[in-house]
Amino acid sequence: MKAESRVEDPSVGTRVRRTIADWTDWGIVDRLVSRPLFWLLPALVFITVFQLYPVFEVFRMSLTDTSLISSEESYVWLENYRRLLGSERFYSTLRVTGIYSIASVVLQIGLGLGLALSIDYGVRRGLRGPLLTRVVVLSAWIVPGIIIGLVWRIMLLETNVGVVNNALDRLGFGIVPFLSDAQLALFSVVAAGAWRGTAFSMIMFYAGLKRVPDELYRAAKVDGAGPLARFRYVTLPQLKPVMFVVTILVTIYSLNSFDLIFALTNGGPGRATEVIALSMYKTAFNSYQMGMAAATAVVLLVVTLTVTAIYFRVFDISEEI
Amino acid sequence: MAGSTDTTVDGRRAGISWSRIRRYGYDGLTYLVYALAIAFFLFPVLWVLSLSLRTEGAVYTSLELIPSDPSLGSYREVLDSGILGWMGNTLFVAVLSVTGILVVTTPAAYGFSRFRFRGRRTLLLAVLGFQMISPIVIVLPLYEIMRTLGLTESHAGLVLLYIGLQIPFSLWLLKGYFDTIPTELDKAARIDGCNRLQTLRYVLLRPVMPGIAVVAIFNFVLTWSEFVMAYTMLSSGGEGLYTLSMGIYVFDNQLATQWTNVAAAAVVGIVPIIVFFVALQRYFVRGLTEGAVKG
Repeated sequence: MKAESRVEDPSVGTRVRRTIADWTDWGIVDRLVSRPLFWLLPALVFITVFQLYPVFEVFRMSLTDTSLISSEESYVWLENYRRLLGSERFYSTLRVTGIYSIASVVLQIGLGLGLALSIDYGVRRGLRGPLLTRVVVLSAWIVPGIIIGLVWRIMLLETNVGVVNNALDRLGFGIVPFLSDAQLALFSVVAAGAWRGTAFSMIMFYAGLKRVPDELYRAAKVDGAGPLARFRYVTLPQLKPVMFVVTILVTIYSLNSFDLIFALTNGGPGRATEVIALSMYKTAFNSYQMGMAAATAVVLLVVTLTVTAIYFRVFDISEEI
Repeated sequence: MAGSTDTTVDGRRAGISWSRIRRYGYDGLTYLVYALAIAFFLFPVLWVLSLSLRTEGAVYTSLELIPSDPSLGSYREVLDSGILGWMGNTLFVAVLSVTGILVVTTPAAYGFSRFRFRGRRTLLLAVLGFQMISPIVIVLPLYEIMRTLGLTESHAGLVLLYIGLQIPFSLWLLKGYFDTIPTELDKAARIDGCNRLQTLRYVLLRPVMPGIAVVAIFNFVLTWSEFVMAYTMLSSGGEGLYTLSMGIYVFDNQLATQWTNVAAAAVVGIVPIIVFFVALQRYFVRGLTEGAVKG
């Protein structure tokens, strides 16, 4: 316990002497490694440089007229926000992001929970197929987002090359404008997003299900609860913490979606699938207006944090963290 | 756990009972779910594979999954486009990033788990809070920072960036693992004369391995697939710097109508990472389900 020795003695001289004694006793390395800072410092430095500082910086940039193509920069204060709130494009992206996110959260959590339950059931019953299903769904998740966008674009092409339209055409439905009709394009983006994102909810729910003690099910059975009642009164309450985490993460992820949409529709047709992140990126790197783009990013951040805060209230998770 | 088929056939086997019929019903339903899920999640990949093996003329006509006149021509063209170089870049960046993340995160996770100091909880929550900030939100200042540091158009810069961005989540996950290991192990090691460094190295590293595996696999997949940061930081550099995702994106934009080539590029982008993941997903899922992934 020597390494932990707190110095109670107020005298500086003794303290120094004791420190030196400790160092010589334990060696400088031992002394160093008994301080938490030694262990945390590298991580904290990285977080400060690549996360904390950029967050402040994006706020600062949003108050300026900084541009990618000129080195001059002056403070315009809230001008960027004023312009943003006055532009139709902004409300359009807000609406698209909202619809996309709500649809994604509902779809991915619904499908993910359903798959997790069926896989857990299959494993408990010793059925064949849960492993294969799990691996296939997870594989979709790890395909790079850009390539998912590309793959779905090829599938949904509005010619005979697009397999979906080819099949629909043969069945006599004609060509469906999956990517060139505004509403259908949004639907396509949501579908591709679910194809990718469902695996995450599935694996989280599955991990949660595995942690439900068998005794609880047995006890419920003894009390005469049928499968549905067991699901309602045992499974769901036990999954509440996981549900909370998954909902928050899927929401954050959907609100900030970028790469898949970038590759699938690039926001089109028109601005029908342009989410906030996409609009921000285009403002920065196509129109070179970094200040405006930063303001858009700040709005995105504020939206994300607000939604998260609402979740914290609704779920009332306080006693579980 | 895997393979233990404890079919809980209740004590009483009363011939054909309702509960048994109901169970077959559930089994049937479950198989249906499996079939639908496999079809939905596998089909796009299979379809792209099928397209990639066709001749350019065959894409317009046939719906068959196995092309009647298979051709590797599109792969030849794709390989000529420099895709192997991009893959090499991606591998390099992903391996270095994962190594860096582990080197930085493991000690920090140990620190948060084993020390009690003032402000620990606050600091931990702050680190956790960064998970709510998506990288896309801070991509503009990150670009400026990297430009100031002269780290755009460099793989080393991208690696540093990935390490910085992935620390919060990895730290959170690993700390959860350290928390599941009883501190008695630390005490025993201390009595045997280990300092903290030796304790971590010789005593704690083994039990925490499943967690390290999860963090490594997760981050490898993530950095392998990452697009926004790579595209933003490396675009101004030459094609030789590209990562796989960005290379394929640029390639796709250049020849948007040669679908067999685009499909072949997609397949080349998908296959290695899926093989990697399928080989290791057991450790990934096991680590996730057995470790205490809690706040």
